[in-house]
Amino acid sequence: MDESTRRLLQRLLRRIPAQLLRSTVDKWGRLSVAQWQSVDFTQPKWALTEKLLAICEENEWTAKHITELEMIYVIDNPNQGMWYAFQLMDPEDDAHSVELTQFKEQFKSHLSELVRHVSVKIKKHTDEAVWIRIAWGDSYSRPNHLNPTYVVHHLQTPYVFVTNLTSKQKPLLSQALVLSTRHHAIKDANLSGRKLTAIRDLLMRQYQHVFPTKYPSPLAEINQTASNPRIEREQAGPGANRLQMACEAFGDGMLPQLQSAVYKLETKFRDHTNKTMTERAEPFKCVVKFASTNLLESLRHCASSGIASTPVTPLLSSIPVKGRNYFVITDNGPSPSSQMHESHN
Amino acid sequence: MEGASTKGVLSQLSLLEVQARSRKAHPQQRGRVKQLRAEAEALMVQREQLKAEIQTLQRLQKLRTSMDKQCTHEEEEEMDEDSEDSQLLQLMARHTQLSDLLHAHHLIGGYNVIKTRQGKGVCVSLATAYEGAYLDTYNLELDLKPKLKISRHNIPPFIPLNSLAEQSSIQTNIRSFLDTLSCHLNALAGRQQQLKLVKEQHKSIEVMESNVLCSILVLMLTVPRGKPAVLCTLDYTDHTRCLPTRVHFECEDKELPDSPEWKKNCSLLMETPAHNALITMKKMGYIV
Repeated sequence: MDESTRRLLQRLLRRIPAQLLRSTVDKWGRLSVAQWQSVDFTQPKWALTEKLLAICEENEWTAKHITELEMIYVIDNPNQGMWYAFQLMDPEDDAHSVELTQFKEQFKSHLSELVRHVSVKIKKHTDEAVWIRIAWGDSYSRPNHLNPTYVVHHLQTPYVFVTNLTSKQKPLLSQALVLSTRHHAIKDANLSGRKLTAIRDLLMRQYQHVFPTKYPSPLAEINQTASNPRIEREQAGPGANRLQMACEAFGDGMLPQLQSAVYKLETKFRDHTNKTMTERAEPFKCVVKFASTNLLESLRHCASSGIASTPVTPLLSSIPVKGRNYFVITDNGPSPSSQMHESHN
Repeated sequence: MEGASTKGVLSQLSLLEVQARSRKAHPQQRGRVKQLRAEAEALMVQREQLKAEIQTLQRLQKLRTSMDKQCTHEEEEEMDEDSEDSQLLQLMARHTQLSDLLHAHHLIGGYNVIKTRQGKGVCVSLATAYEGAYLDTYNLELDLKPKLKISRHNIPPFIPLNSLAEQSSIQTNIRSFLDTLSCHLNALAGRQQQLKLVKEQHKSIEVMESNVLCSILVLMLTVPRGKPAVLCTLDYTDHTRCLPTRVHFECEDKELPDSPEWKKNCSLLMETPAHNALITMKKMGYIV
């Protein structure tokens, strides 16, 4: 077993947390019964790593086997690193009948045409997601397994989720994806986050939406501390109204966990007390970033508690409705953005 | 006198003797009789239960017809039970009335539409159902002014909403757009439900491939008596239908797909929902 494979396994075992090691290796299923029984998973990590390295030598595993283990770990724990969403545009007529084997063959062949040395592994997960692991090489060097790119795509949907892709690799991957899914172009969906499941659920609309209905069922209210019964009575109506509008804008129940939203403003400065700034001809460039452990939850709470005015401004409700968290706002025209609203706060 | 009474006693005694003998001769019958008696009891209890159920249903039916006719007073007097019971029956009758109404509304192609934002928009609810069970409900919010535009929805991205809107010219004929969309959504729900039932009811059949749109289904069918397995591909290229447009069998035994039985299986899968077709094929012994 050569040095690079050894290093690969070491790095991987360092990455997998101790409590998940047992289940991940079990799922991998490459250890013989005797070997499995000889491993004591209660040992400290360094001892386990030594043991598994020894077994690896014994079985003469190659990079191919180790990347299998890595893929199993990443598929089961996808909420790490930074994921970016892309959208495929202009499908061909036969785009919706692309089936798995066809996609796999086409993707592998297109990518290997573009990149001399590349190692591609494609796996279909039970939830219909196609996972692709790409180890990039070039004309002079073998594929680098220590820094792979992961791509997730559901066939027949326009969305692709990518992590760990450099700007040099981006056009190559885009080309391969566009050709193998029978579309004409791919663009940035302006949505990113640390949790794959969150951005996927947001784009696939897999969370609880709330729509206006004739007979609204009571939405689960947050327990408010019993203060003044008169205030409560007064606020009951408006409070319920705010809650309904907040839930219509963002959703009900558990929301996909986004960590940030970025608004890049290129608008004219508006403040009549500051003549020097308002007199400038060029737009005032500014970036506003909202960050939170669960951004959509925070925004919903802002709206339902009255901190943000209701009906919820399209600037905020565009995040779930359009499925993006990066916006460029200019003064004129819709562009890939929303219009700026007058707000004197 | 003595002779007569002795005769009487003797005959009595001989009668008793015969009885004792006959009792000894049928000891097993006792057990069997007990068993049959117990069964008879259980059946009688069941009969009483069923009678009570029929009675309740009949009363419910009467109440329901009276509700439909909207003349309640005379019927209510016939109810001489305590008020709790009759109240419960009233609620149950009303419930059946409402669900029948909803079902009829769905059957005639109605959609739940409500006005939003003081008349500037509408929200349309599209219900999906398959084989008598209601499945997911999808919603669409439409802006009416200045131009008809879809503002918000929870329709999954693999349904081509925008191209459907363009094709059915949503501006001029919103009804045809909604009908087409409902068709797509109901067909999707039907295919999803079929896949779910195939997975639940046929654990011996392996689903080799499927996708989120449920437009393709590849199953591995096991043939009895150790013959090679058959790979069955169902293509649903028409996304407005729950049934496949093409069924294809692949097998190591090249003769098998062309045999008359499997040609029949092919047409069976084309005409009946997948989960039912597989049940039939199992019954006929073609697959395990």
